[in-house]
Amino acid sequence: MAEWLLEIFSEEIPSMMQQGAQEQLRVLAEAELTKAGLGFERLRTFSTPRRLTLVAEGLPLHTPEHTEEKKGPRTDAPAAAIEGFLKTAGVTREACTLQDTPKGQFLFVIKKIPPQPTEAVLGEISLAILKAFHWPKTMRWPNSSTPWIRPIRGFVSLFEGQIVPFTYAGITASKTTQGHRFLAPEPFEVSTFAAYQKKLRDHFVILDRDERRTLIAQDVETLAKKDALTPTQDAALLEEVTGLVEWPIALKGTVDAKFMGLPFEVITTPMRVHQRYFPLKNTQGNLANAFIILTNLKTKDEGKAIIQGNERVLRARLADAQFFWEQDRKHPLEQFNTGLKIRIFYRHLGSLFDKVERLEKLAPRIANQIGAEASLTQRAALLSKADLMSQMVNEFPELQGIMGRYYATHQGEPAEVAHAIEEQYLPKGMGGPLPTSLPGISLAIADRIDSLIGFFAIGIEPTGSKDPYALRRAGLGLIALLLNLSLSPQEILAWAYEGYQWDELSPPLLKSKEETIEGVWTFLLERFKFYLRDQQGSPYDHVEAVLSIAGNASTLADLAARTAALGDLLKTEDGKNLRAAYKRASNILKVEEEKEKYTYDGIVSEEELKDPAERNLFAMLKAKHAEIICLTQQGEFNQVIRSLAELRGPVDTFFEAVRINVEDETLRKNRLHLLALLRKTSHLVADFSKLEGEA
Amino acid sequence: MRTDFQSIILKLQEFWSNQGCVILQPYDGEVGAGTFHPATTLRSLGPKPWRAAYVQPSRRPADGRYGENPNRLYRHHQYQVILKPAPADVLDVYLESLKHIGLDPLLHDIRFVEDDWEGPTLGASGLGWEVWADGQEVTQFTYFQQMGEIPCDPVPAEITYGLERLASVIQDVDNVYDLTWNDPQGAAPMTYGDVALQMEKEFSAFSFEHLDVPMTLRHFEDAEAMCRSLLDSKLVLPAYEYCLKGSHLFNLLDASGAISVTERAAYIGRVRALARQACELWMEMNHG
Repeated sequence: MAEWLLEIFSEEIPSMMQQGAQEQLRVLAEAELTKAGLGFERLRTFSTPRRLTLVAEGLPLHTPEHTEEKKGPRTDAPAAAIEGFLKTAGVTREACTLQDTPKGQFLFVIKKIPPQPTEAVLGEISLAILKAFHWPKTMRWPNSSTPWIRPIRGFVSLFEGQIVPFTYAGITASKTTQGHRFLAPEPFEVSTFAAYQKKLRDHFVILDRDERRTLIAQDVETLAKKDALTPTQDAALLEEVTGLVEWPIALKGTVDAKFMGLPFEVITTPMRVHQRYFPLKNTQGNLANAFIILTNLKTKDEGKAIIQGNERVLRARLADAQFFWEQDRKHPLEQFNTGLKIRIFYRHLGSLFDKVERLEKLAPRIANQIGAEASLTQRAALLSKADLMSQMVNEFPELQGIMGRYYATHQGEPAEVAHAIEEQYLPKGMGGPLPTSLPGISLAIADRIDSLIGFFAIGIEPTGSKDPYALRRAGLGLIALLLNLSLSPQEILAWAYEGYQWDELSPPLLKSKEETIEGVWTFLLERFKFYLRDQQGSPYDHVEAVLSIAGNASTLADLAARTAALGDLLKTEDGKNLRAAYKRASNILKVEEEKEKYTYDGIVSEEELKDPAERNLFAMLKAKHAEIICLTQQGEFNQVIRSLAELRGPVDTFFEAVRINVEDETLRKNRLHLLALLRKTSHLVADFSKLEGEA
Repeated sequence: MRTDFQSIILKLQEFWSNQGCVILQPYDGEVGAGTFHPATTLRSLGPKPWRAAYVQPSRRPADGRYGENPNRLYRHHQYQVILKPAPADVLDVYLESLKHIGLDPLLHDIRFVEDDWEGPTLGASGLGWEVWADGQEVTQFTYFQQMGEIPCDPVPAEITYGLERLASVIQDVDNVYDLTWNDPQGAAPMTYGDVALQMEKEFSAFSFEHLDVPMTLRHFEDAEAMCRSLLDSKLVLPAYEYCLKGSHLFNLLDASGAISVTERAAYIGRVRALARQACELWMEMNHG
């Protein structure tokens, strides 16, 4: 049992791509080894800023003997075709096997491939991995005809300590690599993985990403603790920093006391986003005047120069922020709105000022529907985009909405207004936090609907992978917002359309109100299917089954509850049987309806019911039909489903006891109507025919 | 070791001269960055080897702060190096240059942080990093992939040092105007402020308050027309010069707030079209 080591040594790989690359390397290696018939006991991959490494342990010394089958022409094919095949395969006709297939008798060449030494195939495998590798972005560099994320500068490729030769991107594999760029730059040779990992450590490189990440988290924690502080938790920042260092050293810097009066986000945004520092909090949970820098260097001055330098950079950024904070607060927020007149929202959709004017009308109407204070919502809408013209947001775009809240509070706006200005941007992503205040919800909905309606009206819709105006994200956000409300979006879509001054904007293409609403609604339902699958695990076909009967008047909250209930039903024994019965009934109906060119609508004549089983089923259906309609109106979907499931017994008995295709035409037709009533009742809940897979 | 502003420049000149670069002078017209110098833009195209280094005063009207911001400047200085083809040890050589000017990578935390560069007015793009020294971005390092929308082959390496920021790290100074410019022990010691503050004040006032917008718009149109006619006459270097004039006039208009967001994209597109045609002409005439 043997070990294979492969290191791809390159210039610095973007931090956020390393983890994905490490995983991709593992998947590709596993696939290639399996293809070659090479089993292994363990396969691990690693990543640092400068290297991607793979080690496979427990490989056999030889590939297994296996056969390769090559299919030739049919035995009765023209002589020339057969001749050609034999020539390329390098065999005589006698050496071929004949095999019968449904398409006739064919020539086959079956070749025994003898075992090969593993090292003889690993070079090819390495090349296959490198060629199949996919990066989100690639570049060219001199002397390499093959792209990579950054220039490759070396390969270590060893099997049992011996070089497995190959050349890629103009570089020949060797047993030499390098450690830390500054602390130990001299090249060294390696033989085994254990020695490789150990020597890297001696050369100030911690190969294992998980180890590095844990170490960083611990160091940050420990260093903060010395001053009774705690770091703010930030998994994304931790991951990014893990990809920026090979030899992590945590250092603590201090924030100038004069900046500590700035808002929390104004101090922490440059720290986290621009400088990749960890902000610290004190025991009361307030921001402390200290931060932690993760460096890649152990220095003889204990990091003194590094701390000084980093403090200087932060000081400069905070000095800017301080200046903006003071300047911005000199003007009331309303004054910034003037500037919005020259900020284009979109060419034929007017300026941001126009958008604000539309939101001032739309948001309060939504507020009225959901019981929010309309006047506060209108005020929030008026001020909603003002901070985009502030110097602070111009410098730190991530602070949009947040600065709006601070500036609104500063000028004495009601808390609800300030809060709504910040919350209009929520949710920021799938599953992200939602606005908590009703004016915030109203404004968030209004903003997204205004954008969707506007773009759809002038014919701009997301296509394929293209979505330059982030309409998909707006759609998903809107769905998350609407889900908890009993609000029918249809009406709001119409208001939004009417809010645009189409005459003045005069876009080159303008869809009618009906067409636009239809387009947005269809788009939202598509997003909704995606959302339900992602968030509550509902398969597409369940959503489809519910949507196709729910109609446009339904609220999304309704549809989500129905889909969830349907999923629950189909998990139960009763549900599965009921679905089978539905299928049986609808299949029978389909055949008859096609034959007779007639649609059975479930108008059963009670006196024609002869068999007790059919009488019983009819009684049940009649009762259930009314009950389900009533429960649906109340939104009690779990009860709807329970009610529907109770049909299972009578339906089963009916199919056991009653024949449908009887001589008596009246009887037959009546029974078909009874099946149609079953179909109709089921359709109150979902169109079961849309369900995929076996019943 | 002398760490004043001009000593850093002199040492970089010496270092890159020893790397076989032609040491050039700044382009004698207004540009926004060292990349716009024809020694980079045009010479990065085509197969002929090329190594050049030079200081480039770079004008960014929108960054003017009347001399009141500690690190934002109407005109800053870049030290620009272009190496075609990019040598395999280019990063090591670059790091040597930092040592040469007194930035010890065993005392300062040097990091390569992903930053892919795009120059929309030049139709240029590349992959690379911003190089950090103790959290300060001191260099933009780019492997050019295309220039004037033409693929670069072979790929050059572009190294752009931000001289003020670099000097701030080396001199450990907060405010750019406090940097020593020449020998602080000399007969007439000067700070950066002594040399450059007046320019910052006046040019900020010029571009934010005194720019004649209609006249500048006209100049832009004129520069564009001149560039086109020079392109027709196959005079690539003068044509490119008028493309640069257009680019600078656009920057002035942009800083003054005279251009709306939508118009902005259109202006950038117009400058890019000129740059692309100049690059194409350069290649067509086998100068690359």
